Parts: sequence; C-alpha cells; structure tokens
Amino acid sequence: MRRYIVASSVLLLLAAWWVTAPSGFSESKLPDHVPDAVAGERIFWAGGCASCHARPVNGKRAKGPDKLLLGGGMELESPYGVFRVPNISPHADGIGGWSMLEFVNAMQQGVSPTGKHYYPSFPYTSYAKAATSDVMDLKAYLDTLPEIAGHSEDHSLSFPWSVRRGIGAWKRLYLDAAPVKVSTAGDPLVERGRELVEGLGHCGECHTPRGRSGGLLDDRWLGGAASPEGKGRIPNITPGGESIASWTVGDIAYYLESGFTPEFDTVGGTMVAVQENMAHLTSADREAIAAYLKSVPAID
Amino acid sequence: MMNKNLLRLPILAAALAIASIAVAGDSPQKERHELMEGVLKGAKVVGPMLKGEAEYDNAAAMKALKSWQSAAARFGDLFPEGSETGEDTEAAPAIWEDRAGFDAALVAWSDAVDAAIAANPATLDDAKPVIGPVFGKCKDCHDGYRIEDD
Repeated sequence: MRRYIVASSVLLLLAAWWVTAPSGFSESKLPDHVPDAVAGERIFWAGGCASCHARPVNGKRAKGPDKLLLGGGMELESPYGVFRVPNISPHADGIGGWSMLEFVNAMQQGVSPTGKHYYPSFPYTSYAKAATSDVMDLKAYLDTLPEIAGHSEDHSLSFPWSVRRGIGAWKRLYLDAAPVKVSTAGDPLVERGRELVEGLGHCGECHTPRGRSGGLLDDRWLGGAASPEGKGRIPNITPGGESIASWTVGDIAYYLESGFTPEFDTVGGTMVAVQENMAHLTSADREAIAAYLKSVPAID
Repeated sequence: MMNKNLLRLPILAAALAIASIAVAGDSPQKERHELMEGVLKGAKVVGPMLKGEAEYDNAAAMKALKSWQSAAARFGDLFPEGSETGEDTEAAPAIWEDRAGFDAALVAWSDAVDAAIAANPATLDDAKPVIGPVFGKCKDCHDGYRIEDD
C-alpha cells in the first residue's frame, strides 16, 4: 500500500511537472518574413506596450516622447499581489540581444528566453492571437528605441500565485491562438478589427469578465467586467448594454482618435492611455476596430 | 440733505446684503460646474464640425472659442481651499495637491484657445490643426484633475 502511495505520488508529480513545463515555438514556426521596423511602430501602438513598459515620470504615467523609454518599473496592483513591469528597451537589461525566436516566444507563448513562464499580467494570451509576422515587425521597431539600463524588482505575489511553474497549467487552459468565436462573415474590415481587438489591442483583458481561475469568459466577450485594479467597472463595449450600444461606427472611431464621446465628454481612467495609443493608428484601423465591435454578440 | 444720506445708507446696506447673498448662494463647486457646462455647450457646437457631422461654421466656432476664453479667465479662481469636496464636485484632490500642475494644464488650454482665436480659421481644414489641440487640452486636464464617475 505504502509503495503504491509513493509510486502514485511520484507519478502525479511527474505529470504535474510535465503539464506545467514551459514550451515555446521552434525556429521552424517563424514565418518567412523580413521584419519591418516602420510597420512595427503601428504594432507598438496597437499593442499598448508603452502603457505598462514606459518608465513612469515622477511617479506618473509617461506622456508624449517619454512613452518610448521602455525601462519598465510601473507597479500593477492586483488581487494576486503586485506585478512589477520589466524593462523591454533594447538595452542588455531589457530585450537587448534577444533572438527573434525568443521574442516571439515571449509575446505569443509567454515563455522567457531562460525558459520560464511569464505571468499573464503580460497579455500574451491575447498577443498569441496576433499574426507572428506582426510580432516580428514589433521587435524590429523596439530595437530602434533608446536603450535604458536597469532591472525592475521581482513581483510580490501571494501563494499559490507566487509559484511561477503553476502558470503552465493555467496556460494549458487559456493560451489559445484561435480567434474568439465571433463571426466576421469574411468582411476584411471586420477581420482587421478582429486582429486589432482580440490580438494586439488585447481589449478583452479588461473588458471581458474572468472566471474564478482568472481565464476570460468567452461567452461574455467584451461584456464589461470588474476593474482588474479593484475599484469600479470596465464598460461593456458590445452592441448590448448601456455604455456604447448607441454609438455609431463613426462615434467609436472618433472616440479612439480624439478621446471624446458622442456627448463630448472626455475619455477617463485607464482608458486614457489606451485611447492615446489608438490615436497613433490609421483612421482605417480605428474604423476596423469599430466595425469589429459592432459585429460581436450583444451582451446585456 | 442729511436725511437723504441717512436714508441712502440702509438702502446701500440692503443692496450689499442682497448682492452678497447672491454670491454666497453660488458656491465655487456650483459655479465651476456651471462654467464647465457652458464649455460643454460650446464643445457640442464645435465638436460635430471637427468630427465631420456638421458643416464648419466660422462664426459659430469663433463664438464658442470666445466663450471658452472668458471661461478660462474665470476658471482658476473657482477652486479655493475648502471647496475640495461637496455638491458632488468632480474636482479631484490632485488640484489642491498639485496646484502648479493644475494651473499649468489650465494655462495650456487657455493658450490653445487664444491661438485658435488668433488663427480665426476660415475652413474645416484650417480649423482642425488649431481647434483640435483645444479639445486635446480639455482631455489632458480631465486626466488627473477630474474624478471619474464610472
């Protein structure tokens, strides 16, 4: 009996080790694509990289050109503890010297160059849904930005979240490159919007509620959620509910461009940084986002 | 003569009292709220022009800009100590904690308004690069100095 318990415990541990093992793409998964730094700038703004990775200035969110100084250091308070955002500037303390494959694995598989899981506070479960060629363009752009020295401190998380290896099991449930089940009916504008909303823009990370284990509830896709920072609510951005149901495609696109609602109130809270990023996109991109948001199932 | 002057005094006193009641009735919280509502009224005239929903109208745009110019001149005085809370004010504590930052944000808006008035834009294409920044400065100041109600 005792032998049986020992043997099954060992098996369980082995299984857990195997289930949680970090694994990334191999070189052959990279598409045949020449990275384009100019195209990568659009990916940078669409992805919202600066909102978290830009070094805070006097304890405040970086504005204007300071958004390109990606030394990290911002602290994200969450129910799991405090996440500290790392340096992603092209300095050796950041992503300097990373290979393309290492970068793609970080962005789309949530695995670091040293083979560790990233916490999903870094929204790689969304970036996994982006085109890998876009991610390659992003690296080309990031490599052109100023080098910033310095490391952020480690995250301060409570148990069991502090066990990084456990993320492996979570990823098996929630890391999926497949699109969220939204019909785009083959409309190229809506398809482009899907790429921006589901993938790079990672809109679902805040606008979609999460289940108890922290995964997004796809059947409430973009239906509004409790703020990840604890206070207030992130609005429903589907054609249902009362937040933007009455907005036209033009209203949504103009809001993302200017920060003004149809009532000419201004964007507020954590959306300010997002809107300022979206203002860097083309008007065609903003229209695509709006068209996609109009196509998702209405959540009341 | 003497009697007349004696009579005038209480009238003057009464007038002053009424005036001061009128002023006291409008708390800074209420006054700045109403001023901001007026600014919003102008934004609802000019905004649809910038957005492409309404025909650009130079006279209407200039009228709104001038109303913002006078609002900008009054606005800074409406946040005295003691008016931090109350009457559902949306003024954020940052206004009093970082007065210099708030004043700078207000000046930035006021400067943008002055520049747009000086440009007196005749067409929408002329208006966008000068009135667009006015809207941008509204947003910049709200971000940090206004409490978000949602």
